[in-house]
Amino acid sequence: MDWVTDFWIPVIKAIVVVLALLVGGAYMTWGERKLCARFQVRYGPNRAGPFGILQPLADAVKAIFKEEIVPHHVDKAIYLMSPGISFAAVLITFAVIPFGPQIDLLGRQIGLWIGDLQVGLLYLLAIAGLGSYGIVLGGWSSNNKYSLLGALRATAQMISYELPMGLALLSVVVLAGTLNLNRIVDFQGQWPLIVWQPLGFLIFFIAILAESNRSPFDLPETENELISGFMTEYGGIKFALYFIAEYTAMVVNSAIVATLFLGGWKWPAVLSNLHPLAGVALFLAKVLVVLFLYVWVRASCPRVRYDKFMRFCWKFLMPLAWVNLAVTAVIVALI
Amino acid sequence: MATDLGAIEAQLNQAFPGAVIDRDGDWLVIEASRLPTVAQYLRDEMGYDWLTHLSASDYPDRFEVVYNLYSSRPDQQGPGIPFKVRVPDKANPHVPSLTSIWKSADFQEREVWDMFGIRFDGHPNLKRILLWEGFAGHPLRKDWHEPYYEQEHKPFPSRWPHAQQPKPRSAEERVRWRANVQYPQGFDPDQWKPVPEIDVLPAAKIDLNGLETDQVYVNIGPQHPSTHGVLRMIVGLNGETVTSIYPVLGHLHRNHEKIGERNLWTGIIPYTDRLDYVCPMYNNFGYVVAVERLMGQEVPERAEYLRVIMGELTRVINHLLAIGFQFNELGAMFTPMIYAFTEREHVLDLFEEASGARMMVNYYRFGGVARDVSDDWLKRCRKVVDRLDRKIDEFDTMLSDNEIFIARARGVGAMSWQEMVNYGVTGPVLRSAGLKYDIRKVEPYSIYDTFDFEVPTFETGDIYDRYRQRMAEARESVKILRQALDRIPARGPIQAGKKPWNPKVPAGELYSRVEHPKGELGFYLVSDGGTNPYRYHVRSPSFVNLGALEAMSVGHLFADAIVILGSIDITLGEVDR
Repeated sequence: MDWVTDFWIPVIKAIVVVLALLVGGAYMTWGERKLCARFQVRYGPNRAGPFGILQPLADAVKAIFKEEIVPHHVDKAIYLMSPGISFAAVLITFAVIPFGPQIDLLGRQIGLWIGDLQVGLLYLLAIAGLGSYGIVLGGWSSNNKYSLLGALRATAQMISYELPMGLALLSVVVLAGTLNLNRIVDFQGQWPLIVWQPLGFLIFFIAILAESNRSPFDLPETENELISGFMTEYGGIKFALYFIAEYTAMVVNSAIVATLFLGGWKWPAVLSNLHPLAGVALFLAKVLVVLFLYVWVRASCPRVRYDKFMRFCWKFLMPLAWVNLAVTAVIVALI
Repeated sequence: MATDLGAIEAQLNQAFPGAVIDRDGDWLVIEASRLPTVAQYLRDEMGYDWLTHLSASDYPDRFEVVYNLYSSRPDQQGPGIPFKVRVPDKANPHVPSLTSIWKSADFQEREVWDMFGIRFDGHPNLKRILLWEGFAGHPLRKDWHEPYYEQEHKPFPSRWPHAQQPKPRSAEERVRWRANVQYPQGFDPDQWKPVPEIDVLPAAKIDLNGLETDQVYVNIGPQHPSTHGVLRMIVGLNGETVTSIYPVLGHLHRNHEKIGERNLWTGIIPYTDRLDYVCPMYNNFGYVVAVERLMGQEVPERAEYLRVIMGELTRVINHLLAIGFQFNELGAMFTPMIYAFTEREHVLDLFEEASGARMMVNYYRFGGVARDVSDDWLKRCRKVVDRLDRKIDEFDTMLSDNEIFIARARGVGAMSWQEMVNYGVTGPVLRSAGLKYDIRKVEPYSIYDTFDFEVPTFETGDIYDRYRQRMAEARESVKILRQALDRIPARGPIQAGKKPWNPKVPAGELYSRVEHPKGELGFYLVSDGGTNPYRYHVRSPSFVNLGALEAMSVGHLFADAIVILGSIDITLGEVDR
């Protein structure tokens, strides 16, 4: 066994990726506040550092130094574990996403991905479901009616969006003929999949809005009804963990959209062939575009009522995804 | 232009001989024991179906409970029937309740019980509404004195250093902290526990296919992001469906009315700013109109125009804010709300320049307004009005066709106008259900009768119609503002006669109402000819409209209940007074 290739390089890659994700998630909070402010004719954070660039640090310091409060009526073990579940589920999602080509570093070939899994897409789907456990358990163990309602809504929401999401991904698999994300990216060298799958992209985007509990589907949280929903009883660093998990999830989900539908690091090939790092830059740019969409939607739309959301998912989105899959399959079979 | 009270009295005398026992100025005095039958007759036979105002006052030898009936019938809109009931038994006052006839009597009778200790026989839930159960006495009785009581009314000698020598010690110096705090008999504040929800609402057993579950109660407020202040609602839920709502009021109660009775007539004006702090100008308006009616005071033309300009600017920003908050409750993450607040800032700049304050304006005076405005102000006001016009269109484009909004607002919280009238609901909420009733039209005050404007109405009274109603009313207000800015006299007095520092108001009793942006704002005033009111009561639109909340929300989802509350558009400063 070659320790360097088989152990150290993956470990270092993982550490770099986790750190990058943490910073990305933290700066997503800043980016959202800044963008939302501009949508609302405000300035947004501008005190801590130039353009408020140090705001996430200040927030983190504040959250960490807050008193650690565990309400006496909670189920302590689960209560303390839940933010961690949410957070971990988000981080491990990124493991299969390729964020660049294979590069030559110090005489070694290093692929800019952590794991080149043959069933990468299945892995994504499996892990995506895990994040909800953090929310459901957190809401349940808080022993608070608001949290309970939030947790119930999270459950109802999850079973609604997962199906259209899976179906939308299936059409990608039918087209690309593989579950391996690297192969899917390679498949998009000429044209990104959004060109062949505009409907699939839309369905998937709606589903991941719901998956990361973002407006207009932020039903487990619903500040205006449930105060903070499932995280009402959480404070200090535990709250910050949920919070950063949500924002990191946005980053990761954007990366998934960029990989599956926007051509990953590869498209357009003219640019990504220039330099290995150009691919990484392309990938980042696409992630930022999707993140901007997230914020744009949040600043513009009222929230969907949760029963209407379920109806929408089951009665509209799912049939649509089926039709999309069927049409895709027929066309692929004919050509 | 009062109603022909003589004819009504004659008709009542014919139907119920001896029921009308007296005529007190403009008020019919009805025998207490026959009140429900007479009220039923007035509602069903004579078409006076609308009990908007109910309160009481305390005289040395009796209590009087006063009622103001209005009619929703097109030919009878306008002045209504004021009548009262005398309760000579001061030790144990009883009056029959009218809750079975008008649901609007529910909250107002509870308020009278709370403030005067008059029992309403037959009231289903006669509990304190604004005060808590550990409060001793009934504060609006004349013999009730607050902890630092000094004198019956201002000016207090201790606050008036040059009037008397040596200066008397103030009440705070004479009475040590806590020494004057009273509790009801048998009440121990250390043993007190908040009333559990289960006692307030009946515990309903819900049967789900043989699975027996308990009712879930959720406390919304007093600290909650969407209760518009410190309202507490106890919501019974079946799943997420609302089965009952019980509003708990009074967290912001400051006994505005007792403060008013201690105060001078002029001194009340700044206190009215604090009633509905979103529209302080209109509260001023309502109060000075009421006192001027008592005094028979005329107002110079320029001052009237200024009053209307300020009032309608208030209406536009109130409606825009209401829409903004509405969307906030729908989860639109502040964007429409902050757009609305941007417009409000422009209007507040104008208020600040005219009155000296942005919110607590204290601008209207008996017989005029406090300060004149410059020609430049009028020019800038016109610019703001043009801007508001554009911005209303912008709101319309941005919000009216939003799919999610329509899906959430259509059919939610709908109520027929007949039922709303029974609940005493007034203002945009009522008009959105289809009743064309605007006090500016049916009982014009100030110079509203000289303006050309429409009273928009919609059909169903659901949240979407309320939204459209507010939009349409804001447009009409812009129309009024344009006309007022065109026609305002260039020069002229803004105050009839001398500035009234401490006027004496002729003895009398009246209920006067104006069309506040949120509904009917009424002032019930009793003057004994002195420099301060003998009785001062505010009939606030938010308080009475809130009474219909439960009926509008039951059967809808929890998320909708919040939005319905927002669409009624309440301000807690006015609800709790």
